[in-house]
Amino acid sequence: MPFFGEVFSSEIIKKPVLDPKGEDLGRVKDMVVIKGDPLPRVAALIIEKKKKSFYLPWTELNIFNKKIMASRAYIENLEQYEPKEDDLLIVRDILDKQIVDANGAKVVRVNDVKLEGYNGNAVLIAVDVGMRGILRRLGVERGGEDFLKLFKKTLPFSLISWDYLQPLEPKLTSISLTVPRQMLSELHPADIADIISSVSQKDGTSIFNNLDIETAAEALSELKPEMQADIISSMTTEKAADIIEEMPPDEAADILSDLPTDKAKEILESIEKEDAEDIQELLGHEEDTAGGLMTNEYIAYSPDMTVQEALERFKAEAKEVETVYYIYVLDKEEKLVGVISLREVLLAEKDCILADMMETSLKTVAPGEDEMIVAELISKYNLLALPVVDEEGYMHGVITVDDVVDMLLPPTAKRKRRKV
Amino acid sequence: MTRWKKLLLFLSVMGPGIITANIDNDASGITTYSVAGARFGYELLWTLIPTTVALVVVQEMIARMGVVTGKGLSDLIRENYGVKTTFFMMLGLLVANFGNTVANLAGWAASMEILGLSKYVMVPIGALCIWILVTKGSYRFVEKILLVACLLYIGYVISGIMAKPDWVPVLKSTFIPKVRWDSEYMMLSIAIIGTTITPWMQFYLQSSIAEKGIKKEQYRASRLDVIIGCSITDIISFFIIVTCGAMLFPHGLRVNEASEAALALKPLAGEYAYLIFSLSLANASLLGAIIVPLATAYYICEAMGWEAGVNKTFKEAPQFMWIYTMTIALSSVVILVPGAPLVFLMVLSAVINGLLLPFVLVYALLLVNNRKLMGEYVNAKAYNYISWGTVSSIVVLTGLLIVTTLWPG
Repeated sequence: MPFFGEVFSSEIIKKPVLDPKGEDLGRVKDMVVIKGDPLPRVAALIIEKKKKSFYLPWTELNIFNKKIMASRAYIENLEQYEPKEDDLLIVRDILDKQIVDANGAKVVRVNDVKLEGYNGNAVLIAVDVGMRGILRRLGVERGGEDFLKLFKKTLPFSLISWDYLQPLEPKLTSISLTVPRQMLSELHPADIADIISSVSQKDGTSIFNNLDIETAAEALSELKPEMQADIISSMTTEKAADIIEEMPPDEAADILSDLPTDKAKEILESIEKEDAEDIQELLGHEEDTAGGLMTNEYIAYSPDMTVQEALERFKAEAKEVETVYYIYVLDKEEKLVGVISLREVLLAEKDCILADMMETSLKTVAPGEDEMIVAELISKYNLLALPVVDEEGYMHGVITVDDVVDMLLPPTAKRKRRKV
Repeated sequence: MTRWKKLLLFLSVMGPGIITANIDNDASGITTYSVAGARFGYELLWTLIPTTVALVVVQEMIARMGVVTGKGLSDLIRENYGVKTTFFMMLGLLVANFGNTVANLAGWAASMEILGLSKYVMVPIGALCIWILVTKGSYRFVEKILLVACLLYIGYVISGIMAKPDWVPVLKSTFIPKVRWDSEYMMLSIAIIGTTITPWMQFYLQSSIAEKGIKKEQYRASRLDVIIGCSITDIISFFIIVTCGAMLFPHGLRVNEASEAALALKPLAGEYAYLIFSLSLANASLLGAIIVPLATAYYICEAMGWEAGVNKTFKEAPQFMWIYTMTIALSSVVILVPGAPLVFLMVLSAVINGLLLPFVLVYALLLVNNRKLMGEYVNAKAYNYISWGTVSSIVVLTGLLIVTTLWPG
């Protein structure tokens, strides 16, 4: 039975199921869940009619969505269902259960269960642990939304991805998280990105709207490009600009390049001028070239500066810059003449001049170089960052190892990290 | 097991039962007993015996559930009866307990006023003290303070003895029931049971047993804790009625408030009896003002699935601490703002409590008989007759109490 889209268990429970003639087959009482790959799936509905329970296998369902449920079978063809301890049932065993963290501390309760269509099956994708779930169960989700709108607030979506719950077994009294004691907002941005990519786009956007700007920016850079573009374009320009501004310019440029030109322009106009110029410059490069990967934030000083001066300026500037492990030395014409590692600067005598200690045989790439070449260079020379320099020797930016690490990982590892 | 070991085991488990039962005699309880004693002398004393039995029957089941499941009552209700039931029950309890907290702080304010201390100073001080105790204290420390506060109830026993009652009629009215078909008499006897068995104490008892982590093997000691607690409660009630019955009733002095009773005692029983009576009222009110908001915080957090417990910090259990804090803060404001609808709040709280009690008790009975949860610890068949009988009588009586509260006379 094909099932697309998404539905919450509370939208199904107690709803009528029709038989092929359109007669009432009974009402949904519960759902039987079995293990599946990659997520558990609904194997059957338990239908209640005249105080008797019947087992309606998933394969006998003809239509399944929150508006209509219809079966291929008549009531006479269904087996009566006797509750078994070993079955895992959504209402009986999962709803309202306590979710505890690895240490057994209470975190939240399961207020609702979210199902999503996957290969024609209804898989359990997430549990709703927020106020929204409670209101939905009480039948007033819309009312709650409207009420909060009066105060210009939105009702947050608090979903915990099924991936973060221990495998479910029958007869459970509480459900454990596989991540340590952390609420959604305290999860690492990469984990939030995982959750967002496993919920639908609409929900992902809502989760996003409720993160603080900094976390949102970090989480956004962990998402797949299509997802990034979807989420940013569904936001208000103002909020989008705030988030983009917070990101390193190279990642900001990647996202903007995936957006429709109008939207990107609009966002660029709302960003602070200085940041916008950095991003604009990066946007001029092809995406899969060195220029497309690089960021134009880096630390660069003149050759006649002393270590003492360099360190003072470093302290003031390094906060804003993504990669600080190399200090680039540029001459008066902004041409790259050398590089010094942060370690060398820290260990050097205070009155030493940068020109005397810098490495002058440089590994660089041209802006038009293919991204695979970049990755190979970084890997070969064990670099944390690689400067991008044109034929005339002008420095354009740096490519940091985190921008290419995905290309260096074997394909399986990559898929695991970005599981969708 | 040696006698000493048994005693030690009891002492380690003791606490939840005794504390819960004692807080029963909070400001509104003491008011009821004072009014009953002043109005009818010793005549209503006999009602204490069935009240004690009912209290023991109910509390024992709740304690058993706490020990066996290790969960609070609202945990169990949520997990077995779903969101809707739980949500409306919690909403009702929140309002009712807010009223109860206000009543207790009002009792504290009144007792301070008759001792000559301004409520505008003493209510904030009292509120601050109980707030610090729970938010900064550990469960063991809080329990110790509460147990000491329970000891202070002895003040009522002392004032009862100081009132020099004639013990023959006292004992006679205690053991020989006498029913009078008088509306005021009926109402007061119902009120005695109504103020003794309340919804919130079931939640508090089970949660505090769960938080204390009492194990199945220690269940017998826990049961003793409950029985002793219930008996002490009603012994205290007994002495309050005796005090007022001996001193106020012969002079035909009617009172409406516990603090009025204390004031009336001054010329009749002397400075000391008056002092002891007022200080005990202050103690009971403050104790109630700790436990009632605490119970509220416990069951709401359990129902929603949030971390709860006195041992936790604001960071670990924010909702728990905030509910506790806000209940106390708002109640203090209501007491201190002139013209706040105190009477309306009291009546509302009494009515909601009365409406919720049947649900709480029936759910508790169904849960305690649920073999999946309780295993071999379900009620025995004979015991079920007693418990259903008790619960139905309580339900009928509280129903009557609501009627008389809403339509007095």
